[in-house]
Amino acid sequence: MFRAEPLVKIRLLMLASEAADAALELARFGIYSPAQYAPEALSESPAEAYRDAWLEAESRVSKLVERCGSLPELTLPEGAAAPTLADLEELNIWLKGVWNACLAAHEGESRIQEEVRHLDGLEETMGKLERLNVDLAHLLRPDGLLAVNIGSLPTDSVKRVGEALSMTGSLVTTFDKIGDQAYAVIAGPRDRHEEVRGLLSQAGWRELPVPQELRTHPQAARVWLAEERKRVEERTGAECAAMDTLRGQYRTGLEEARLRVTLGRPLAEAAIVGVRGRGGLVSLSGWIPRRRVNESKVALEARFHGRYWLDVEEPKANEADQVPSLVHYPSWLMPFVPLVKSYGVPRYGEFDPTLPFAFTYLLLFGAMFGDVGHGAVILVLAAALYKRLGRTAWVGIAAGAVSMLFGLLYGSIFGYEDIIEPVWMSPLHHPNKMLILAVSFGVGFIVLTLLVNMRNRLIAGHTAEALFDSTGLAGLLFYLGAVGGVASMAGAVNLAAPSWMIAILGICIVAGFKWAETHAGLGERVLVTSIETLETGINLFANTLSFMRVAAFSLNHVALALAIFTLANGMGTGGHWLTIVLGNVVIIVLEGGIVAIQALRLMYYEGFSRFFSGDGIEFVPLKLVGVKQTVTPV
Amino acid sequence: MSAYLNTRVSLFSGRLWQPEDFNTLIKTPNAEMAEALAERGLPQLAAGFDSLDHRSLEQRIISEMLDETKVLIRPLTGAERNFLIYWTERFEVSNVKTLLRGKMTGERPAALLNRLTPMGAFGRLDVQDLAHAEDVSELLRRLEAGPYSGIVRQARRAFEESHDPFILDAALDRGYYEGLAHRAQPLENSAGASFRRLMGSLIDRINLVWLLRYRFNYNLPPAQVYFLLVASHYSLPSSRLRELAALGSLEAILVALPDSLRGLMRDVNDIPGVFASMERAAVETADKVLHSGAPAISRAFAYLILRERDLRSVRAVLRGRHLGLPTADIRLAMYQPSEGNA
Repeated sequence: MFRAEPLVKIRLLMLASEAADAALELARFGIYSPAQYAPEALSESPAEAYRDAWLEAESRVSKLVERCGSLPELTLPEGAAAPTLADLEELNIWLKGVWNACLAAHEGESRIQEEVRHLDGLEETMGKLERLNVDLAHLLRPDGLLAVNIGSLPTDSVKRVGEALSMTGSLVTTFDKIGDQAYAVIAGPRDRHEEVRGLLSQAGWRELPVPQELRTHPQAARVWLAEERKRVEERTGAECAAMDTLRGQYRTGLEEARLRVTLGRPLAEAAIVGVRGRGGLVSLSGWIPRRRVNESKVALEARFHGRYWLDVEEPKANEADQVPSLVHYPSWLMPFVPLVKSYGVPRYGEFDPTLPFAFTYLLLFGAMFGDVGHGAVILVLAAALYKRLGRTAWVGIAAGAVSMLFGLLYGSIFGYEDIIEPVWMSPLHHPNKMLILAVSFGVGFIVLTLLVNMRNRLIAGHTAEALFDSTGLAGLLFYLGAVGGVASMAGAVNLAAPSWMIAILGICIVAGFKWAETHAGLGERVLVTSIETLETGINLFANTLSFMRVAAFSLNHVALALAIFTLANGMGTGGHWLTIVLGNVVIIVLEGGIVAIQALRLMYYEGFSRFFSGDGIEFVPLKLVGVKQTVTPV
Repeated sequence: MSAYLNTRVSLFSGRLWQPEDFNTLIKTPNAEMAEALAERGLPQLAAGFDSLDHRSLEQRIISEMLDETKVLIRPLTGAERNFLIYWTERFEVSNVKTLLRGKMTGERPAALLNRLTPMGAFGRLDVQDLAHAEDVSELLRRLEAGPYSGIVRQARRAFEESHDPFILDAALDRGYYEGLAHRAQPLENSAGASFRRLMGSLIDRINLVWLLRYRFNYNLPPAQVYFLLVASHYSLPSSRLRELAALGSLEAILVALPDSLRGLMRDVNDIPGVFASMERAAVETADKVLHSGAPAISRAFAYLILRERDLRSVRAVLRGRHLGLPTADIRLAMYQPSEGNA
């Protein structure tokens, strides 16, 4: 839980024709994270074509599944083999055919919808055409000197089209606007009508066919419209039936295609980084957990009967930054993992801070926002939003519970300090004690982070940094000595002389280390050493004081409540309770939010930044997606 | 913030190339080319400068442009930021055109994806998804549901009517530059004459060259030509463009240009010549704005115009040398004056 599982580097050499099956076999276990460690001689990327074909197939299958509605979860048949490149190419041809058939049906549906909209528009415009008070039959006469078009075009093109048409001697008159479409009549000399048509086709013009009936009698036009609607409805039914037929016709084939795409995914994903080859040989390289090596060997042997070569190697010390991190967390700790990962992924071998993070974060939140009532509201809200928030809701539930616990310790419920007796103490009445406690907690926290950093440095082989740097043993000596010295000055202990000696020793070692580490001219070396040494002291001092905010926020919580009570007491009964309720809502939303961020900030900047490089690589194993697993994954 | 941007632009302007730098580059031996480019702050071009893959060179040039734009927009907000971000989007519109052409020719998604320009942080399109569209209609519908819906909508309708790839390209280009002019409007009010001059030189050049190409290379009728131009209020306002589109020859159009543009067209008798003259004038305008006390956004825009022109000239040199072209032809491709006139 505190550090990543030991991994080993593998290189699996085998026949190119069996690469997809090998990737599938490794993906069944979910233990193989691909990375590029193939021998230099294998300079080709044989799986790229496979990946391209797979991507095409996957995209088509996804689109088709989207059109067909949900399909059941796949079950992997025993001994199922991954598709070859030729299989995928063949599948792509079939899928393209199916997609085109579906697309034609879908386009048919779209056209019908457009037709329905068109009829709606026509019906609406008909009334307006009637009011145009022109003889449409005469106006639209095909043998007249005037060529007339009635139709629609995008509203924002009207001006431009009008200007362009004026060059052909034509006029535009808009008589209606529906959505972003303007309905217009265009009239111009017939001998330039071709020019007008060319322009209109560029302008997104849609001709409005004015039926013969509309040109004669409005009543006849309405009958025509009703008949048209009936015809469109019939076509809608026919298109729906066609889509249903298609779904039925291709469903089995589509499920088979989905299975093939699922089986091809491992090699297609491994191809991004971990597959190299030459001729008929391929190498899959990457990382797997050391404890699963034998299991993998057995599975590969059972499948390939010796037609492979598996090279297993421990990571070298200088490879630590390339090894992915695989950390197992208990399920109750999982909700806190994203909060740590949002800062960064621990490097392989580094201390994983998730567990201390969870405890310390909750402790700080509770200490800053201790109230039985407010905590209960947060707890209930988080529980109520569980379905929407998922696992993250547990962070809210735990924070609410800890807030309630501190509420009991502080004797505070919805800001009232006189309803329950504090089990421990009220922050408002003991501010100095709260401040001392907060700073003491900060000292303990910073010491812990320095110790963790020392451990991380030692494991990474940076012994000098672990011992002499400002975040190593020397920094720790300086810090403890300085804390002892300040505590002695405040009269808390009587260790002034030895404390200051330790602090001076620590800072001198730090300065010596900075001097040795700076490779520059004398002046620059003096400057860098003095500034960086000074920075060590200032940073540690500032980081410690930063924890005063824990006490400040616990006081702030009570003070905010007092302000609300003062406001409420100046009002009548109705106003009083309204103010109390609204005030508590403000406290929960505003102060609760601020405290949640402050606790996170303390963890990130006073804690993680000292020991957590956060630039690790996450262990992302190849997995079979969307199928029932038969083998225990990582 | 404008002080920061001004300082940043002044620092960047040191990277701009002078005519003699191009002369030196043309003469630089192959063995020293990588070093010469790296010294001029173009390490991305130095690596693999002699590559046969001209698309990779183009992609690296655009990548450099995007990196510099990213730095320049950092202190900007509101209309200024929107404008410079939109200025980078022409590379993405170019990706849209590549996707459309690829779909028309039935190109495989992987090959198509390789030809696209990586937009980095400026990318707004899900190119993986778009490249896997089955045909142009599906691609256009997907694009219409994305960030370029405004530009694509009209292009789709026009394409559905005509099925002419030229119409599609022309509609996309017009849509993009209409959008640029629209976003420039508030800046012309706030940043004043300098910004207006830059926009004017850009839109006038585009309109005049498009007008000539559509009219005499594609033989479109005047009304159609006018419709495909960008609405403008600069030296060639809409009324003047209508008049010019109605004229029947290149010479007549050049004679009918306003004085400010007619002066640039002396000795010009073909469309590439018009383009080169307008380009030179635009570069001079940008150079003046960059070296003046103009508002920071104008100077930043001027710098980007000049920088892009420099990088394209460098590309012309590299590709010209690679193809073994004579120096004179390389200069022609760069629209650079000869050594004697430089």
